[in-house]
Amino acid sequence: MLESERVVESAALGGRATGRLTNPYVRDEFGLETMDLNVGPQHPAMHGLLRLIVELDGETIVRCDPVMGYLHRCQEKIAENRMYPAVIPLTDRLDYFANMHMEHGYCLAVEDLMGLEIPPRADAIRVLMCELMRLASHLPSIGFLMLELGAFTPILYAFRERERIQTIFEAVTGARMMFHYIRIGGVKADLPEDIPQKIWDYVESLEANLDRDFVDLIQGNEIFITRTRGVGKVTQEEAVEMGLTGPPLRSTGVDFDVRLDYPYSWYPNVTFDVITDTQGDAEAAYRVRVGEIRQSIRIVKQVLENLPEGAVMGDVPRRIRPAEGEGFGRVESPRGEFAVHVVSDGSDIPYRVHYRDPSFVNMQFLQEIVPGHYLPDVMPIMGIVDPVSGGWDK
Amino acid sequence: MISTLLEYYNQEPFRFLTAFGAILFLTLNLAAILTMSERKVAGYIQGRFGPNRVWPRGLLQPAADVVKLFTKENLSPSGSDLWIFLAAPIAMFIPAATIWLVVPFAPGLVIADLNIAILFFISITSIGALGVIMAGYGSRSNFSLLGALRGAGQLISYEVPLILSLLGIAILTGSLSLVDVVDAQAGGFWNWYIWFQLPMFVAFYVAGIAEVKRIPFDLPEGESEIVGGFMVEYSGMTWALIQASEFALMGLMSAIGATLFFGGWQPPLAFLDLGTFNWIWFGLKTSLLMFTFLWIRWTLPRLRMDQLMDLGWKVLVPLTILWLFVTAGAVLAFPSFFG
Amino acid sequence: MPQIGQGVIKGMGITLRHLFSQKITRQYPEYKRTLPERSRGLLTVDMDRCIACLQCMRVCPDHCISIEMQKRDIDGSGKPKPYAVGFVIDDSRCMYCSLCVEVCPVNCIYHTEEFEAQAYNRLELARQFGERPVDPTVDPKPTVKKKKKATAKKAPRTVERPVTEKDDAA
Repeated sequence: MLESERVVESAALGGRATGRLTNPYVRDEFGLETMDLNVGPQHPAMHGLLRLIVELDGETIVRCDPVMGYLHRCQEKIAENRMYPAVIPLTDRLDYFANMHMEHGYCLAVEDLMGLEIPPRADAIRVLMCELMRLASHLPSIGFLMLELGAFTPILYAFRERERIQTIFEAVTGARMMFHYIRIGGVKADLPEDIPQKIWDYVESLEANLDRDFVDLIQGNEIFITRTRGVGKVTQEEAVEMGLTGPPLRSTGVDFDVRLDYPYSWYPNVTFDVITDTQGDAEAAYRVRVGEIRQSIRIVKQVLENLPEGAVMGDVPRRIRPAEGEGFGRVESPRGEFAVHVVSDGSDIPYRVHYRDPSFVNMQFLQEIVPGHYLPDVMPIMGIVDPVSGGWDK
Repeated sequence: MISTLLEYYNQEPFRFLTAFGAILFLTLNLAAILTMSERKVAGYIQGRFGPNRVWPRGLLQPAADVVKLFTKENLSPSGSDLWIFLAAPIAMFIPAATIWLVVPFAPGLVIADLNIAILFFISITSIGALGVIMAGYGSRSNFSLLGALRGAGQLISYEVPLILSLLGIAILTGSLSLVDVVDAQAGGFWNWYIWFQLPMFVAFYVAGIAEVKRIPFDLPEGESEIVGGFMVEYSGMTWALIQASEFALMGLMSAIGATLFFGGWQPPLAFLDLGTFNWIWFGLKTSLLMFTFLWIRWTLPRLRMDQLMDLGWKVLVPLTILWLFVTAGAVLAFPSFFG
Repeated sequence: MPQIGQGVIKGMGITLRHLFSQKITRQYPEYKRTLPERSRGLLTVDMDRCIACLQCMRVCPDHCISIEMQKRDIDGSGKPKPYAVGFVIDDSRCMYCSLCVEVCPVNCIYHTEEFEAQAYNRLELARQFGERPVDPTVDPKPTVKKKKKATAKKAPRTVERPVTEKDDAA
């Protein structure tokens, strides 16, 4: 029997086909061999620049090696040459679908390092921006999942919604994508006068559009169900072992959310549910994301109703030059847990900044889960993880 | 004078050349118009306008596309089998163009009134599958090979429901000629075959989408996984010919569907008969079916290979065989009504 | 086994409804929307107010501002004051982070609402504001690691180390 067949069979029996094929060019007695396919860095559906070296036995994948690094920009090294406030524009460009969370994580780490207190209004505005960012990230996630399955319309509806959110961001921060808004000690500037009403109106319209343009179009669609049900199924133990966080973990049933388990910022003052699902496959991840969109809308409404008054910037020294030590900050980004570890040596330039990015850690999912599936199943499996290439490559 | 001239031109070389010219004109223009209408329909569904810059409101966009494709370089991979590589688009275009010979546009307006037209349609459509395999094998690329193998499986599998769905019509009409089929649906829209043969129409339509390799059956092309599948290595005019053949085949499936199930050039009510201008009715029905092709493409995701084969073999084939027996039984039991 | 039924038909009804609803495209060159007042476009400098403190040059993370400073008697008081005789902003490097805008003490550098900076040659994107042109290709601030003594700050909260088996054994 072909070596690859043995590997695939073990996947079918419940084991995981993680073994590397020792002799990839071995031929069995019929002269059959497997085919190496380079689902290459230039690909319309790879969520960025990911190279998957996929070994195919017919249409079944026997081995899958993700090769990352095509978008590496040495962000952690550059951060060792910039002053603390100047690292924030760098963090914007990490996971460019969740900029606010990246800034928030870094600022939490530096505030932990320096022991700063944040005024409540700044905390509330940070949470408001982060939840809007979560909306702007989950909608295109669903769109990308459908794009890779072959339906071209939901992604355009998703980007229509994202454009409206970006217009709100532009009115608040000045830029549509690289905000540079959350600063060490608070946020840069207060919300303009008419923004709370605009956010409220937008969120109400999104609730209506969500049901019409996304849930009705996708959730009952038989083709979508057959493509995603049972694909990428993973158990709770495996998910925790791989270190997954975010929607992939919650779709297996583990109730872990950084906003509730390690509360930060304004989250202790809002109530929301953690959406979990027990199925553990691509359809469950989609449902978790839709549920999280609804919960984010709920959080946005609560924050808008109870926005406290006050300053938006705390008591921050003019030169940020922390004493020697380490700071750690963790946030719940749309893809999972994002954490920043900052080490200071007493100067005004950090000694080391390390980003624990959820897209990077969740990529193990691909290598472990994909073998045994068919080639077209790679797309729903990537839709479970929804990595962003700025995240895994930094 | 005119009649002798027409008689002269009614002879062999001129007849052939006229038919040839008419077919090419029809097919290529249809393909061009369909590219533009696909982009406009896609845009309108997605909440945007399609191309609307090329005078007026984007209607001359196909002209711009054709000019661009003419000026592009026709690349081919090194090591590819150049004969097969270049012959494949032609092999894909020929069935899409040839079957228009037997389609009746209006009473008396059919280029070749074969009395085995349905058989002709079925047999020539099978050549299209060969073209796909040639394209995928001739480009020396793993992606193309995958696309070719998927195409082979899909196209050959879906010819079976395609053929079986036409047999009910053959039983009801008593002949394989398309002109006879259209004549048998005269009188009004209640005489059209769609009412009795609805399951056959569904099978024909789904198999038609699969034969044209459009979403939800576009795995051979598979844009999100194998980026173009069997046609990934084509560019310039060779690619344009493949696209033209795909759109021409789409138009052809719509035309055959309209002819067989919706009465061809027959008007819905008898007093709306326009004589030779009945090709307007034919055009309307074909356009409606083509619009549904486009509408389905931009709404649904695609099926995976094994699900696609399941649909073909496990759903469509039993459905058509069952309805074939129902049709045959109805014709035997009520010969006056269905005869 | 897939069966086409309720879900697909409902989805197609939704797209058909979108076909006839209002489109959201705005035709760009004919229609330009009004940008909010905080929007960060291209930078511009009011040279009359610039006091050549070089703060924007020092803070810019991308090294896109180059200033050539001279001491000159501008206001006729007899004392030579710093004067920016050459000021170049390189649009090809600017990332619109607005750090220079925030740090300027006289608010003379600010964002405009323009964003259409296109050129056939990258060097054309460097806009000169002073009298003398400054070469934008020379890096004004080669990276120097500054090691300064820590100022007297209160002891920060350090990260708690998790208890591991090694600690227990030791």
